[in-house]
Amino acid sequence: MKATIDKISSEIEALKLNAERLKAMSEDLPALNRNLMRVMASIKMLELNFVDPFKP
Amino acid sequence: MSINEQPYWNAFTETLPFEQLRAYQLRKFKKIATWAYQNSKFYKEFYDKAGINPKDIRTFEDIRRVPKVEKGMLRDAQRKDPFPYGDLLCVPLEEVTEYRQTSGTTGQPVYQADTWQDWEWWSECWAHILWAQGYRPTDRIFLPFGYNVFVAFWAAHYAAEKIGCEIVPGGVLDTQARLLKIKEIKANAMMATPTYILGMAETAKTKLNMDPTQLGIQRITCAGEPGASIPSTKKRLEAAWNAKVFDHAGATEIGAWSFECAAQSGGMHVNEAFFLVEIEDVDTGEIIEEPGHRGKMVITALDRIGQPCVRFDSKDIIEWSEDPCPCGRTWRMIKGGVVGRADDITKVKGVLLSPSAIEEVVRGIEGLGDEYEVIVDKLGDVDRIKLKVELLPGHEDQQKSIEAILKDQLRLKTNLGYRLEFYDFGRLPRYDVKARRFKDMRESH
Repeated sequence: MKATIDKISSEIEALKLNAERLKAMSEDLPALNRNLMRVMASIKMLELNFVDPFKP
Repeated sequence: MSINEQPYWNAFTETLPFEQLRAYQLRKFKKIATWAYQNSKFYKEFYDKAGINPKDIRTFEDIRRVPKVEKGMLRDAQRKDPFPYGDLLCVPLEEVTEYRQTSGTTGQPVYQADTWQDWEWWSECWAHILWAQGYRPTDRIFLPFGYNVFVAFWAAHYAAEKIGCEIVPGGVLDTQARLLKIKEIKANAMMATPTYILGMAETAKTKLNMDPTQLGIQRITCAGEPGASIPSTKKRLEAAWNAKVFDHAGATEIGAWSFECAAQSGGMHVNEAFFLVEIEDVDTGEIIEEPGHRGKMVITALDRIGQPCVRFDSKDIIEWSEDPCPCGRTWRMIKGGVVGRADDITKVKGVLLSPSAIEEVVRGIEGLGDEYEVIVDKLGDVDRIKLKVELLPGHEDQQKSIEAILKDQLRLKTNLGYRLEFYDFGRLPRYDVKARRFKDMRESH
């Protein structure tokens, strides 16, 4: 279980970093900025399910 | 095992060892209370006045010292700017994407702000519920509710989409049109209040000459009233539609915090990964940890950020269940669901009376209709209770025997005597959403 959770957690972290990098490029692009707002909320749900409960 | 055969929405959190779950709740409580303290003027002033700094929280004992929020406080805080959420808001107004409000039956409505993340969280809570109750992408769900300012089944709609179900919004249709649409598109599941589900079945039979058991509805999720956890009401709901009926509990200010799973083992699970539920003794204020003792729920939504809900005094009466659920979830269960509300449970002739106990009796008697009305008033200084019931067609000649059974059962279950009034079927009021069958007229005397 721990190995699976660690792997999922690490992929979610990578996803979040990608989304944050894109967000930094979105200042003048509503279609990028607002869609990323939704993507980030979905990533937060992944964290609630697979990252936060297993943090020390 | 295919993904649709998986019993849990998230096997990792739903079967988390209890000690680990509690440690997680403690961490999350500290985080959300700190967030509320740092970002909401209401929580800052409230906690400062109580001498509490959430950063100091280390134990569940510390949590119990955090003051409870009551609904009236929310209303007061919303009289301030920014309109309409006032001091409760923890994010800039432009981050609010969802507006909902409470019904306002106990006073001015509470306005509820949610960010898009909060809305994702709402649907995530509901996704846990629907998956646990057996909803899968193959389901076509009909939602017969007025899509409006009340949260009702809005988040269920989004959760069903998230799961992959097909959703048929039955908003601005009357009951007959909804029934015809269910038949036309062969929906196999729906969600509504128990009152409305029973009313739909009655309309199908009396107005459309349609047998609701033949419509193909296999699964119904109820909310808004305790009925689906009252055994006699659940039995009637299931018989009326030939469907499995599940209960769930939630509230606008809180979220969707509890649900009956497919095992239906006599209670509802608390989603303990997303909520902290505490049960408080109504008389002493002590927190009840052991099963079998009823008390008032104090609840925290652990991840709701726009307008947080931290140690909210919900007034719901619940008790922890003793037995673990055979479904394997480690999330604790509340026995028999929400059994009443602290402000509904009233003393009549010195005896505590819960309206749901009357419903359990009425709907357990063959020959009586689903509708009833309870009126409490005073004759001089003495409390009186009148119970109005309907005889089902074909049972008119059994009134005397039904009356005797009803009197006995009421005395047994509530320890009170009633003045009974029998009506022809269809004479008592029908309700589309939350029913108001209990009327306490004593204050008007």
